[in-house]
Amino acid sequence: MIEIEKTGVPAVPIVSGRFVEDAVASTRAFGMPSLQWVVVPRIYRNLEHDLCRSQTADVIDDLIGQLTSEIDARVSDIDTVGSRTYEADDRYEAVLAMNDDLISEDFGDGLPLFPATKEAVEKMLTGTNLPPDHVVCDMPPGFGIATVEKIAINSVMAGAKPEHLPVVIAAVKAISNIQADGGKSLLMSTSPQAPFLIVNGPIIDELGFNPRSAIGPGRDNQVNTVVGRAFAMCFRNIGYWYPGKMDMDTIGTTRKFIQCIAENEEMSPWDPFHVDQGFNRDESTVSLFITDGELDQQDQGNTTAEGLLKNLAYGCVFGTKSIQEKGHTQRLILMPPDVAGPVGKQEFTKQAAKEFIQANANHSLGKMIQYMPLEGEARVAEKWKWLENLTEEQRLEIEFPVMDSAEDCYILVVGADRAKTAILPSGPAPVTEGIDQYRA
Amino acid sequence: MYTLEVQNPVAEQRGVVNSFTTSPRPKSLDGLTVGLLWSGTHGGDVALNTAADLIKQRFNDVTVNFYNGNNYPAPEHIRQKCAEESDVVIGATAD
Repeated sequence: MIEIEKTGVPAVPIVSGRFVEDAVASTRAFGMPSLQWVVVPRIYRNLEHDLCRSQTADVIDDLIGQLTSEIDARVSDIDTVGSRTYEADDRYEAVLAMNDDLISEDFGDGLPLFPATKEAVEKMLTGTNLPPDHVVCDMPPGFGIATVEKIAINSVMAGAKPEHLPVVIAAVKAISNIQADGGKSLLMSTSPQAPFLIVNGPIIDELGFNPRSAIGPGRDNQVNTVVGRAFAMCFRNIGYWYPGKMDMDTIGTTRKFIQCIAENEEMSPWDPFHVDQGFNRDESTVSLFITDGELDQQDQGNTTAEGLLKNLAYGCVFGTKSIQEKGHTQRLILMPPDVAGPVGKQEFTKQAAKEFIQANANHSLGKMIQYMPLEGEARVAEKWKWLENLTEEQRLEIEFPVMDSAEDCYILVVGADRAKTAILPSGPAPVTEGIDQYRA
Repeated sequence: MYTLEVQNPVAEQRGVVNSFTTSPRPKSLDGLTVGLLWSGTHGGDVALNTAADLIKQRFNDVTVNFYNGNNYPAPEHIRQKCAEESDVVIGATAD
């Protein structure tokens, strides 16, 4: 709508109920804070047609008014400059007051925040060679201007240390390079897509990232947790990824408590992931994936590469297969050493393992497209139009690969002992960013 | 008494720094072409067609064109065609 308004043509969207805050945030993000809209109570997609018609009829006066009347701009100001001050009997009480305030403003993740005092931010900035006013990128989905100073402030609030800052900066840069638009539509989706960070290179040991039982709470994962949290804080306050505004999840996911894990390079039979992505082994990188689910694919006794990979391929059919024009079904596979080791030892290269998985990850097409009623559905790519002529039973009987090619399958070796693989539906393609360029 | 001062974590948005204003509105929809831009989700098409039917009942000589964007946001060539051929445009965020 904004792009049409920019051509000089009045354009008004009909916005569904809980998307009003999203509309406010989106108009700011995409450059037209004064865009007008009308609001209906319920989301159309699963609504009976009579209700679609009646709730639209209820707003027709408003809609015509928006199209034919000059209306005052609907602009809400957000303070991005001033500091905040808290007075209390002692420092502890002041920090509690700060937490009450910042969390009530939704500037935090709900857990206690560290105070980003001037001194703490200055100390954080010693972790990078970049000046505070350097703009790293415009961070999606809200396209906040990611200066080094704002990244440092959010990193302090998350409890990060100065040596963590270059990783956070690299991750912020990485998300701006996901697709041409930073994947903004995906991040704002009603599905629970979330970023997932993985570091490679010497920085794993230097900073103490855990590449074994890498996802979850506790002492061993302190660095994984804090760096991921710092990125998540940036994503919130710089990228405007606020729930109910530019993060429109239906239910949500704990993957939004973002973690930054490490590849278990020592236990991998193959080159580490950042080498696949064109970096040298002695460079440090962070790779950013967008994930949409997580499955624990257990293996109960296979010892051959084929057996291990077939079981893993079956796990890849969990989730969905997109038949949209821009749809691209991918899988991120976090393969533990007890799977990767035997597979590599039995002379499977990583590429050969990916090809084997892709060739064996087949399932009922009708199920993978979620029994979608195709009649009246416009979001079907031309190459899938033939499905419209089939009955539901025929669609269910067709076996099809969930991934179009082996390049849609990403393998990273992560984990402790035991053949239990984590499979995450993912996409679009991940972005890997070098960290060393941002280090002090 | 202890005073704690903390820095603001919220960034300025590029879209606010470089913002555009909305287009001038027509006084009436009489004789105009209304573009309906559909994102491709179920129900959104019903909503847009309902709006168009009601507008046609209230204004004279209204022409309605329907554009299937197939996605959100609609591809650029469809947005352009819609903008070029319409005097006003209605869209729906249906999911």
